[in-house]
Amino acid sequence: MDIERFSATDRILHWVTAIAFLYCMLSGIGIAYPKFHWMLTLLGGGEFARWLHPWAGAVFSVGAILMILKWSRDMVMKGEDWLWLMRIKAYISGRHEDLPEVGKFNGGQKLYSWVVFLSAVIFFLSGLPMWFPENFSIGLVRWSVVVHEITFIVATFFTVIHIYMGTIGVPGSIWGMIGGKVSETWARFHHPRWFREVRGE
Amino acid sequence: MSTLTTEGTVGLGIRRISASKKPDTTTKQYPELAILVDISSCIGCKACEAACQQWHDLTPPIMTPEEVVQRRIAGYQSHPDLRHDLFMLMKFNEGESEGRFVWFITKYQCMHCAEPGCLIACPSPGAVIQYQNGIVDFDHSKCIGCKMCLVGCPFDVPRFDANNKPWKCNFCIDRVTAGLEPACVKTCPTQCLTFGFKEDMVEKGKKIVQSLKERGYKNATLYDPPGVGGTGYIYVLPHGDKVKEYNLPENPRVDASIGLWKGPLKVLGSIAIWGALLGAFLQLILWGPIKVLGGKEEDKEG
Repeated sequence: MDIERFSATDRILHWVTAIAFLYCMLSGIGIAYPKFHWMLTLLGGGEFARWLHPWAGAVFSVGAILMILKWSRDMVMKGEDWLWLMRIKAYISGRHEDLPEVGKFNGGQKLYSWVVFLSAVIFFLSGLPMWFPENFSIGLVRWSVVVHEITFIVATFFTVIHIYMGTIGVPGSIWGMIGGKVSETWARFHHPRWFREVRGE
Repeated sequence: MSTLTTEGTVGLGIRRISASKKPDTTTKQYPELAILVDISSCIGCKACEAACQQWHDLTPPIMTPEEVVQRRIAGYQSHPDLRHDLFMLMKFNEGESEGRFVWFITKYQCMHCAEPGCLIACPSPGAVIQYQNGIVDFDHSKCIGCKMCLVGCPFDVPRFDANNKPWKCNFCIDRVTAGLEPACVKTCPTQCLTFGFKEDMVEKGKKIVQSLKERGYKNATLYDPPGVGGTGYIYVLPHGDKVKEYNLPENPRVDASIGLWKGPLKVLGSIAIWGALLGAFLQLILWGPIKVLGGKEEDKEG
């Protein structure tokens, strides 16, 4: 039997935010890194990509903030989550028995959710002066570019890992976001405490 | 008619273009050009501004008297600021120096820096071009409209049209290429503007500064800011101790933030993102996907 992991609202929120972020990330790389300028052609051309980037960014920021509002209670970092993060080597090398028991989300997922939330806020605040540079002091605009770039580095680093874990890295987890249901075995293995809560044990 | 020509396209060799490798400039070189603006002989007639608009077919709207009052512009200045359809502007500022009234006049337009902040900041390959002769120009077909040229410019020059394309003084590159002096120089009635090789213009400017000093303008100076590698417009300022009164930045340079995100942060970003991809790949080939029960089959009753 399968268990529902993410409701339809969760899934819509996740994918709107995710697609907006992917567009921002790829167009941002194309804009900021001349070696990847060619990617803009695939995203609708340089002018179009530069035009859509801030709008997609606004969608991402709003989506990410709604997502954290909806999920924040599940995302609170506790002592066991830090312990989990410290033993992340055991997780990625398949030594599951060395890890603390996990609830609905593990330490890595929780950390990522806060990275996304914080980056959404910082991307938005630093993106606004870059979007309308004539309406802000030039010093603010110049340092906003630096802040935007640093935020990009952190957010993209974590997102690469998130995408890998959600697809190839942890087989079965993608179904939580596609269709919304995961298998019982998967739930019991990866999120045992959540599994028991759902089962009302 | 100027005695100086760029011999067709000879002068239009490229020194560098934005977001690209530096071209090999050893084959053909051409000396830098410059316009010397001798403020001491400027009478503020704005003929250069009119000539600029005429040559470039620009028709910026004329300010209404209400706008003039609202923006607190001395009535003599034609516009409050540069516009996408106004490439140069004579700026007027009433002030004092040594207890005497001074009318600080400046010719305000793109300075054609040797180290152009716009070109350094521009992320789109080829959208900003610096020619061998020092002229800095935009190629709108390669511009993506991100306005980073404005972010990089130490002189607050580029202005954007409805499609976010930047406009500015292009040193009348079409005229210069044809062996003519720029429109503003051509029209100047007091020879306040002189066009020629940068080297000669610096020499001439220094001579004027020297004679001004002999006439009692002890702070007279030649404005050719070294922070941006020198500029294509150089200014004789009679009151060189009051650069700001002329609406010119005292020590313009390409802001440190530009170098930071163009240099170290790009390297850091590349390392972080390629590192994350490599890390994921290593996890895959070293330990494989994290399967339920380590991949061991179990009874599926749950």
